[in-house]
Parts: sequence; structure tokens; C-alpha cells
Amino acid sequence: MTQTLPTVDAEAAAALIAPTTPPGRRRRSGGGTAKRVLVAVWLPIVLLALWWVLSASSTSPFFPPLSKILGEWWDQWIVGDAKGQLVSSLRNLVFGYLAGSLIGATFGTLLWRFAAARRVTNPIIYFLYVLPAPALLPAMIALFGIGEMRQIALISFGAIWPTLLNTLDGMRGIDQVKFDAAKAMRLSPTRTLFSLVLPAAAPQMAAGLRASLQVSIILMVVTEMVAAREGIGYFILQAQTVFAVTKMWTGILTLVIIGMVANFLFVAIERRALAWYHRSRAPGNS
Amino acid sequence: MNATRRSLRWLAPAAAVVVALLLWQLATAGGLFTRDQFPTMTDTVRALGDAIGTEAYWDSVLSTLQAWFLGLVIASVLAVVIGSALAFNDFAYRSAASVIEIFKAIPAIAILPLVILVLGSTLEMKVFLIAFGVFWPLVIQVIYGVRSMDPTVLDTAKALGVGGLRRFFVVTIPSASPYLATGMRIASASALILAVVSELVGGAAGIGRNILRAQNGGVSAYPVMYAYILTAGLLGIILTGAFFLFERKVMHWHESQRNIRANEQGARK
Repeated sequence: MTQTLPTVDAEAAAALIAPTTPPGRRRRSGGGTAKRVLVAVWLPIVLLALWWVLSASSTSPFFPPLSKILGEWWDQWIVGDAKGQLVSSLRNLVFGYLAGSLIGATFGTLLWRFAAARRVTNPIIYFLYVLPAPALLPAMIALFGIGEMRQIALISFGAIWPTLLNTLDGMRGIDQVKFDAAKAMRLSPTRTLFSLVLPAAAPQMAAGLRASLQVSIILMVVTEMVAAREGIGYFILQAQTVFAVTKMWTGILTLVIIGMVANFLFVAIERRALAWYHRSRAPGNS
Repeated sequence: MNATRRSLRWLAPAAAVVVALLLWQLATAGGLFTRDQFPTMTDTVRALGDAIGTEAYWDSVLSTLQAWFLGLVIASVLAVVIGSALAFNDFAYRSAASVIEIFKAIPAIAILPLVILVLGSTLEMKVFLIAFGVFWPLVIQVIYGVRSMDPTVLDTAKALGVGGLRRFFVVTIPSASPYLATGMRIASASALILAVVSELVGGAAGIGRNILRAQNGGVSAYPVMYAYILTAGLLGIILTGAFFLFERKVMHWHESQRNIRANEQGARK
């Protein structure tokens, strides 16, 4: 990769975004990797085993044996056509989340830059942020009909606010001294934005993006549970209304997997993105 | 001069709200949206005014608030007790961390149909869903808060002979309080969302159910629907605002608050 930035600027910018919080308490690094992995996984495995054993002879209509749930899950979601529900759910989630977080980050930056606009729109933005987004679902049905447009619209609407406010807060939390330094070094506004503001706000922006993702998943399911004809939420609720409890459990299991995979992907991407940020702070490593 | 500045800080946002309401009125009365898409502002405000006088309105607000409150209290108490217990034992913390992360990744709404099946469209159903959804992020905040405590503080407390419950309330909780306050504020918002969802999907009494009923009532009931949506938003503002003020008052010494205030003062110059 070619370095296009002048090194002096890059180093100066890196110095500007030095951490403001002291590093947390150092953890004792007792034992090897194997031991650490073992400590992390034994409890989930024991709990799963407990669930398996305790539910094996279950006659409760609500809590079927785990073995039955897993078997049915395989039939429905791997062999059967429940996979189709997955496609429409994930498509809505991806489009809605990307649109919402992009709008959120852009307007968060704009509002940070233009303090007057921020002060004026503040009450409206907070109103929209704290307004429980699912409450808008019936309104979205009235506006967009019952198609997927309304689902994507509601998901992106909900995803905007956590990202927007965290972008704004992250940028406002930057120490004024750093801007003075940037000014003294005559960084252009664009350079200041990309070399100072965005990296310095990145950790909090990531927190906002993560919150947006969680809101998006909730809204994905909610939109599918009311007046929809496809999707995982529809699948689960449909199974519940006809009292197909095991089938309902397979839907829940799928949602759990989606939640975990989405979370895992986010953390993996965040680690990569912020690894650059952490590396840039380390001296003599550019 | 200070007084005019302060009044300006209040006037500008107030004016913005008025302008937004006027734009709403213009867009709907002017024909950008038809009546079956979006009701006019005046119709909605009138519907809200009518609703406020009825007992049904306050019943729905109270049942939403009740579930919000109970769910939040149950989850916070459990989170503080379990979180501090886990934070003080390294093995317990590392063992439980993966389980907590897994449960935190579960969208609470996934178990809603199951909870409806077991508990019905009741208050218990709402409270359970809220407490379940809010507990996992909260317990993580508590663990982080307790673990971020300065070891010297703990040693000092030990040396001074402060122990047991007293140390828990005088040393541990205050040390973890910035994390706890942030966690509670976020949890409050999630709890309100889950309350509305459990009413919308689960059919329990509350604002969410009234919104859906108004939507099912057809175009003539749309102003009522938006009146309840406005109510949900106002409820959110009041609850979140209360947590924000509390955080500012109690956490003024915390770093995150200091930087924001310093920048505000810089901008005010």
C-alpha cells in the first residue's frame, strides 16, 4: 500500500487522537490459551447439556425436548423451505441497517459541524430518538402499504438515531486542545475531518452502530410479526397461532443464531477497523 | 447579556418545534400527503386533546409505564446483585461472560411468542419480556463498572475496616455508578420499546395496543393513532430526559461529562 499522506501530518494527527481515558486494570494472564478457552466454554456447554437432559422426558406443551427441536430445526431450516423466510428477512435487515446508519453518521457529522442547526433541531431529534420505533409500525403501514418498502423504511428509521447521536456525542467529546493543534498545523477542514474528527470519534461511533444494529434486528422481527406474509418473525408467530410449538422453537433458534452471527460479524469488523486506530497510536509503528 | 443568551437557547428549539408542526400542517393540508396516508396536525392535536380527557387514555399510559417500571426495577436489582458477585471472582466472571454475551445477542423479541403462549396477554408477560431484554446489557455494565474500580480504593476500604454490605453500598456501588447510570438510561429506552412491542404484537393493554387498534379502525381513526404515537414519544422524552438530568447532576465529576461541558462553554464564548 502506498502512503499518500505526508508523514508529518499523519504522525501529528495520530498524536492528536491519543487516548483520553487511562487504560483499564491489567488482567492477570494466568494459564495458556487452552485454559482460557476452556474457562470460556465450559458453562455454555454445561447449560446446553442440562437443557438436553432436563427436557428429554418433557411433556410440557411449551418446552419440548431439545433433541426434538434440533431435529425439527434441521428439517425446517436446512432441508425444508423455511430458508426462503431467511432471505427476505436478511435482505430487509441489510438494506434498512445500511441506509439508516449511513444517514445517521452523515447527519451526525453535519449537526456537529453546524452548531446552530444542532441547537435548533435538538428537541426534534431527541423526540425521534426516544420515540419507540415500533410504535410507528401502524403508521408505516398506512404510508407504504404492507409491502417490504415499509419494513425497510421502519428498520432504517430506527437505525438512524443511535448512530446519529453517538456520532455527534463522540465528536463533541473531542478535546478542544486537539482542534487548536490541528489549526496550528493548518490542517484543511477535510483533512481535519478525516485525520482527527472521524478517528477520534470512531470508538463511540462504533458503539452507536452496534446499538443501531440491535434496534434493526428488533424492528426486522416486529415488522414481520404485524401484517406481513414472510420472514422469520412471521414464521414464528404463524407457528405460535396454530400451536406448533416445536416449529416455533426452531424459528426462535434461528433468530438466536442470526443475533449471534450479526453480533460476531460486527465485533470482527469493529476489531479490524479499530485495530487501525489502536495501531496508529502506537509509536514507531507507521 | 447572559439572560438574553439563555432565553435564546430556549427560544430557538421552541421555534423549531413550532416550525416543524406548521410544516406538518402545510404538507398534509396542502396535499403532499392524502388524508388516508397522514392526518393533519390540527386533527391529530384535536384527537390528542380529546383522548387526554378520557380514562381509557390514562389507563393505557399507566399500563405501559407500569410494565416499564417493574421490568426495569427487577432487571436492575438482579443485574447489580449478580453483576457484582461475578465481578469479584475472576473465574466466575470469565465463565459467565460467554453465557451473558450469548443471551445479550438474542433479540428479546424472539422469545415474545413463547412468552405470550406461556403467560398470555398479561402484565406478567410484558414485565418478563422487558426484564429479560434489559437484564443482559445491564449486567455487563455492572461488571465493567465494578471491575473498573481503583484497587487502591478497595484496599483502603479494607484497611479502614469497611466490609460486607457497608462496603458494597459505600464503595462498590458509587465506584460503578457512571457505568450503572449509562446502563440504566439505555435500558430505560429499550424497556419502553419492548413494552410497546409486547402491546402491539402480544395484545396486552397499553399504548401499543391502542395504536394498532386505531390503525385497524380505518382512515377516520388515523388522527387517534398519531395521537398515541405522539404520546409514546413524549413518554420517551420524559423518561430519557429524567435519566439524563440525573446523570448530569450525579455524574458531573465523570470524564465523559466534563469534556462535553468544556466544549459547551467553549462554544458559548
